[in-house]
Amino acid sequence: MADGDYLGEFEHIVMLALLRLAERAYGVTVRQEIELRTGREASIGAVYATLDRLEKKGYVKSRRGDPTPERGGRAKRFFRVTAKGAAAVNRTHRAFESMVEGLDLIRSYS
Amino acid sequence: MMPPPRFAAWMVSLFAPPEQAESILGDLEEEFLLLGPRSGLASARRWYWRQSVRTSAHLLRSGFRDAPWSTALAVLGGFFLLRLAHWLPGQLLNAVTDRYLMYWSNHFHAYLWVLKALIPTYLLGTFLTGCCVALVTKKREMIATMAMALVLLAMIFVGSLSAMIMTGDANYLRSLFWASSDPLAIVMGGMLVGRLRSKNTPLPAA
Repeated sequence: MADGDYLGEFEHIVMLALLRLAERAYGVTVRQEIELRTGREASIGAVYATLDRLEKKGYVKSRRGDPTPERGGRAKRFFRVTAKGAAAVNRTHRAFESMVEGLDLIRSYS
Repeated sequence: MMPPPRFAAWMVSLFAPPEQAESILGDLEEEFLLLGPRSGLASARRWYWRQSVRTSAHLLRSGFRDAPWSTALAVLGGFFLLRLAHWLPGQLLNAVTDRYLMYWSNHFHAYLWVLKALIPTYLLGTFLTGCCVALVTKKREMIATMAMALVLLAMIFVGSLSAMIMTGDANYLRSLFWASSDPLAIVMGGMLVGRLRSKNTPLPAA
């Protein structure tokens, strides 16, 4: 994907969840944040597939945490947004704002 | 607290790439343990199953989307291999039977032997084909073998249905049950290779 491209809908949501969670962002917290704020149940597989894609694009970076007993001795994988990723979020957001500008959505379609 | 459903965890471990399997299974177990005391064990188990099925479907879809051409090529190669695996045992058994026919008490026993020996060798050949397809598609064993099994199942279904329509013989449709053992053997080959590759990923304790 080229540098100037926009994020997809779920990619955008995942990136915003990562930005909100900052240092605490890993699979469980990202999934719960999405569920809490959007009201839709996201599968952990969808979250990881998206994070994997974003990491390949260079929008996020991951690091392995320490194994913990409540996870059956498995390690967490923490994610953070890169500068390139933050630029993609801004670009997508600006595009949305520009498209919505001047529209009275509530009055036009209610 | 009870451990999460082992079979569901095993299913996720089959579809998850090795580098993701540990964190995905860890995340699922962590949420399961949080959910248990809050909503009850039955509800937590239901959640775990729902998440596992949806996660496996997502991983299957994204795996195919990430490498559609190499997966398609592996499936195509698998079909050539399958043809060989079904043709070769028949030829070998025929050669053996023809060579030693004179020692059999009657010909009927010889052909019965061929027939009995062919079914397991066919299945073994199919299973080994599944293993080969899984071996060449590193980290995507289940994606490639599931794709091949689904294509084969569709071919068998269409073939049986058209044969039944043309001849009016319902036995063709009944034979579907036995014919579906081939796609199953392919998936089992993929499962074996996938499990051997990800044996370092521990499943929840029983």
